[in-house]
Amino acid sequence: MPREEKIVCIDCPLGCLVKLTLDDKDKVIDVADNKCKKGEEFAVEEIRNPVRVLTTTVLTQQSIQPLLPMKTNKPINKKMLRQSMLVLAKVRAKPPIKMGDVIVSNLLDTGADVVATRDLLIDHEKKS
Amino acid sequence: MNLNAQKVGVAVIGAGPAGMAAAIKAKEAGAKDVVIIERSEELGGLLHQCIHNGFGLLYFNEDLTGPEYAVRFIERVKELKIRTQLETMVIKISQDRDIMAVSSKQGYITFKPKAIVLTMGCRERSRGAINIPGTRPAGIFTAGTAQRFVNVEGFVPGKKIVILGSGDIGMIMARRLTLEGAEVKAVVEILPYVGGLIRNEVQCIHDFDIPLLLESTVTHIHGEQRVEAVTVARVDRDRNPIAGSERKIECDTLLLSVGLIPENELSLMAGVELDPVTGGPVVDENMQTNVHGIFAGGNVVHVNDLVDNVTWESDLAGASAARFALEVKPVGRGKIALKPGRGIRYIVPQLISGLRDVTLYMRVREPEQNVRINVGDIMSRSLRVVKPSVMIKLTLSAEQLKKLEKGTREIMVECEKRKGKK
Repeated sequence: MPREEKIVCIDCPLGCLVKLTLDDKDKVIDVADNKCKKGEEFAVEEIRNPVRVLTTTVLTQQSIQPLLPMKTNKPINKKMLRQSMLVLAKVRAKPPIKMGDVIVSNLLDTGADVVATRDLLIDHEKKS
Repeated sequence: MNLNAQKVGVAVIGAGPAGMAAAIKAKEAGAKDVVIIERSEELGGLLHQCIHNGFGLLYFNEDLTGPEYAVRFIERVKELKIRTQLETMVIKISQDRDIMAVSSKQGYITFKPKAIVLTMGCRERSRGAINIPGTRPAGIFTAGTAQRFVNVEGFVPGKKIVILGSGDIGMIMARRLTLEGAEVKAVVEILPYVGGLIRNEVQCIHDFDIPLLLESTVTHIHGEQRVEAVTVARVDRDRNPIAGSERKIECDTLLLSVGLIPENELSLMAGVELDPVTGGPVVDENMQTNVHGIFAGGNVVHVNDLVDNVTWESDLAGASAARFALEVKPVGRGKIALKPGRGIRYIVPQLISGLRDVTLYMRVREPEQNVRINVGDIMSRSLRVVKPSVMIKLTLSAEQLKKLEKGTREIMVECEKRKGKK
């Protein structure tokens, strides 16, 4: 039985609610209600593999800056976001760390590394 | 006038994205003695707490997080050896551009700059601004304050959270708090549509199945020591709560994401004229205010949705301030007023000279489809969709401006419905 899925396209402020029809093998057999070609491309990709960059923080072992901001260096499947948070909850970042340093490599086998988005200096150094 | 005032070339007030951009451009344009005066202990402003990505897509053509965007400018400020006066709060700007400031290390200090760039940014509207009835328990925060707690200080402000307002910060905090283990019970929006960007609606609200209550508002806050619940009601077309539609949502925290106000107390002291719609200074195409030698850029002028535009505007303000300080040639003030016509809420800059290329930033009043933005009869741009939350940016070329009749003092900008289109 074909089934329907709806995806909001984020390519422009129009935000088309694109209607996809999929067959039992999850193959897209019809795309409707999009106002341009980009809507189709976006919706087909979003249903196949919805990916997001995860941005969050980890605790540090440094008192001036108790948290260090992080991101995945490439987008990961959105189903992995919550699990990833649990992994990162266990991390305690030890200074010195430079922006871009890998904190967790190959996060949950997604192929993405978690990298620092800010420097973490040793306590007695002054913040930037 | 203080005889001990430090003479400087360009003084920039605030070291957020606007202030850093203005100072860098002023220095690059040759200004001597550029100083950034900042009340906090570091450069970067709000960017440090905006750990999400989406910054710099236009300015750098890269997808950066807030801290990464900040570092680009912090590094440049250091490279150029721009003087930074941190932990110093400006308390007054006089009408002849003297700056009075206080610092815990140096006490009362004064500056006598040749030019000033106002880059104080904006602040959040709070409960008092929207008058929500009820008790006054702990657990009511603006979204930006909560963002600082969660992303910088390391505290999650509550476990069960209701967010009033669907601006970008509100939606981003809905996702952030969910990821940190809190339960976001609802995002409540008084308008029939979301206040922020579409990507945030999808990636912050839909992705986490957070209930989005449109055409609704919080009508009461309950709780003695701590927030225990809020009453949410649907609203009618005039945004008045509908009797009988109320329901109580149990929560321990209410976040407010109900708008931002440009921070212009200093501007007013200096005699800067404000636009009642934007809440920021009336500026011309050089980002100069009505006070000679005082320039402004970024959210202090009007609240932007993208930092990239803040940077561009402030680049311009900084370069203009340098020109003024160096006295290379007079920075005249534009005389042609851009007036918002049908469908347009405001336009920045409000005044132009008509002599050179100028970028206009504007917002519409209502979401509409298939419209044409007409700038007098010299330019027209068709747009498939416009929304109040999405800034429209148009560049008028000197060539187009030549079409203006001599002596034109006013240009009407309007958002016209295109005919013959569904």
